Amino acid sequence: MALVWSGPARAERPHLDFPENLTAVIDFRVVLTDGERSWTDGGFGRSRFGGGGDEIRVHAVPAEAELVWHGPIAWNVEGNVAVAYQDDQDQPVDLIEAFATWRPVPRGPTRFSVRAGFYWPQVSLEHEGPAWQVANMITPSAINSWIGEEVKVVGLEGTATHPLAGGRLSGTLGLFGFNDTSGTLLSFRGWALHDQKTGAFSRQALPPLGPDMAGAQPPWTTPTLEVDHRIGFYGRLAYQFVAPVTLEAFYYDNRGDPAAFTDDLQWGWRTRFLNVGARIDLGAHTRLLAQALTGSTEMGLDPGEDEVWVDTRFRSAFVRLTHEIGPVALSGRLDLFETRQRGEYVYAEDDEDGWSLTGALDWRLTDQARVIVEGLHVESDRASRARLGVAPRQDQNVVQASMRITL
Amino acid sequence: MRAFLPALGGLVLAAAPAAAGDLAVQVRTANGAGVANAVVTLYPGGRASPLAPNRGNFEIAQRDLQFSPFVLVVPVGAQVSFPNFDDVRHHVYSFSPVRRFELRLYAREQTRSVRFDRPGIVPLGCNIHDNMIAFIDVVDTSFAARTDNAGRANFTAIPGGPVLVRVWHPWLRAPANQLELRADVPDNGRVAQAVPVSLRPPPRPARTY
Repeated sequence: MALVWSGPARAERPHLDFPENLTAVIDFRVVLTDGERSWTDGGFGRSRFGGGGDEIRVHAVPAEAELVWHGPIAWNVEGNVAVAYQDDQDQPVDLIEAFATWRPVPRGPTRFSVRAGFYWPQVSLEHEGPAWQVANMITPSAINSWIGEEVKVVGLEGTATHPLAGGRLSGTLGLFGFNDTSGTLLSFRGWALHDQKTGAFSRQALPPLGPDMAGAQPPWTTPTLEVDHRIGFYGRLAYQFVAPVTLEAFYYDNRGDPAAFTDDLQWGWRTRFLNVGARIDLGAHTRLLAQALTGSTEMGLDPGEDEVWVDTRFRSAFVRLTHEIGPVALSGRLDLFETRQRGEYVYAEDDEDGWSLTGALDWRLTDQARVIVEGLHVESDRASRARLGVAPRQDQNVVQASMRITL
Repeated sequence: MRAFLPALGGLVLAAAPAAAGDLAVQVRTANGAGVANAVVTLYPGGRASPLAPNRGNFEIAQRDLQFSPFVLVVPVGAQVSFPNFDDVRHHVYSFSPVRRFELRLYAREQTRSVRFDRPGIVPLGCNIHDNMIAFIDVVDTSFAARTDNAGRANFTAIPGGPVLVRVWHPWLRAPANQLELRADVPDNGRVAQAVPVSLRPPPRPARTY
């Protein structure tokens, strides 16, 4: 940033070089898309940008502008606060993350850290940096698109990292609230591929619901919400080998109460999932990322009954390869995803199978500017599309060019 | 090269015994590549050579989010300064039993120093920047040097006879990252000693989030 606080550096006072710790990210987007209407627009489309059936639509939008402050709060405490403008959200300006990390000076080979605030637990292998951006691509995988929209907590986590057999073992345990509606989108809409980030106060639109659910749930969900006053937990274990391989596992349980709901019918969804991930460096310029996630979510319970209204089993996996040639990084990713309905009032018509193939070229022009061009093809089969009079099987192509400026 | 030239050279030269030779050590890998940043210490007759009074200026700078040098050799009792040349703050620490300390370096051009009174290896880290690492080898003998980029450390005026050669490197594949061997130094003239070593891959940078 251009502004620098240039007061005299005094030994006894921390030099909080505030503007130095500000990062601004601006993302201009040109999008060409065919296929169905996006779920953001009341459709069943899997992408953030919808098409007009066979006709190609062009969107030219400032897709995102984000301002991040990351810097010292105290000697061992770092803060991170991100605010974003996203033009297609119901709250265009919203708080994205706000957390502090305390890292005491190690007194032995084991390192400890504690993080508290509003943040994404560490599941995604694709996102990085203070602005939590997808590296080298525009659209994250189906798994991490969902993490971005429905797995963000108000929580407290502790991490211990210990050298082991030449590598590094890291364990994290977290307690959280305000993530009780997690699973709503996955159940009623299904998996999607998009780079929207849910803010603290934002709603996400839902596609048309089945007749048995339409009275129980409004056509939107609030991802950051405490409904049942039960504390959820997650745990993460990661091992970084001597060889350039990192394996990790993450388990999440929001301990939601499926019978709990708010005045505006936001429910306590009981969501549990296991994610496993691998990051493998194949030489200095090529890396492979892979994740697989499986879980379930339950919502709605009549007094004295055992069977929940909604019981959605979901799973997805992706493999992604990125190869760097000078300032250019080429990436390819294959995503597979499915949901299955087992509940009392949501039926097999809301089962879904799908896959997606994404290719991207990321060209770093300067330290401040990069252009990413991405092509995405997604296909899925979901009978409930009949509610909008469209065929169950849909495919869609999305070509995007993003100009990303980081200041 | 004398270990702490020019700080110690004068005195050791003055005290050099009549019968003394030179020893040229090269630390190298199996394929012959020189290993930089290894610390070679010599113990003529298996004994430490008395240290000269410590007048050295030793420093480990923080520049471009790295420590420089990566390995520093200092005599017992040395004062090491830690100047910060970066625009960001650093939090230098070591949990080594040799010398446990932490320094808070607020900003550019600030310097703090630490005294090292016991021999041994002191690994350094920065609590804010995980990928910053460096090592201080605090030695109790005047015959100590860090290898150059060709893996070489040259010693002059070593008392002739058997000499214990100790080689340490942070990634050396050996117990305590160190190995020992014996060399014979002539009463006059120069002898070369190659030290073949095997290195572990350095730890990879931690992924941050």
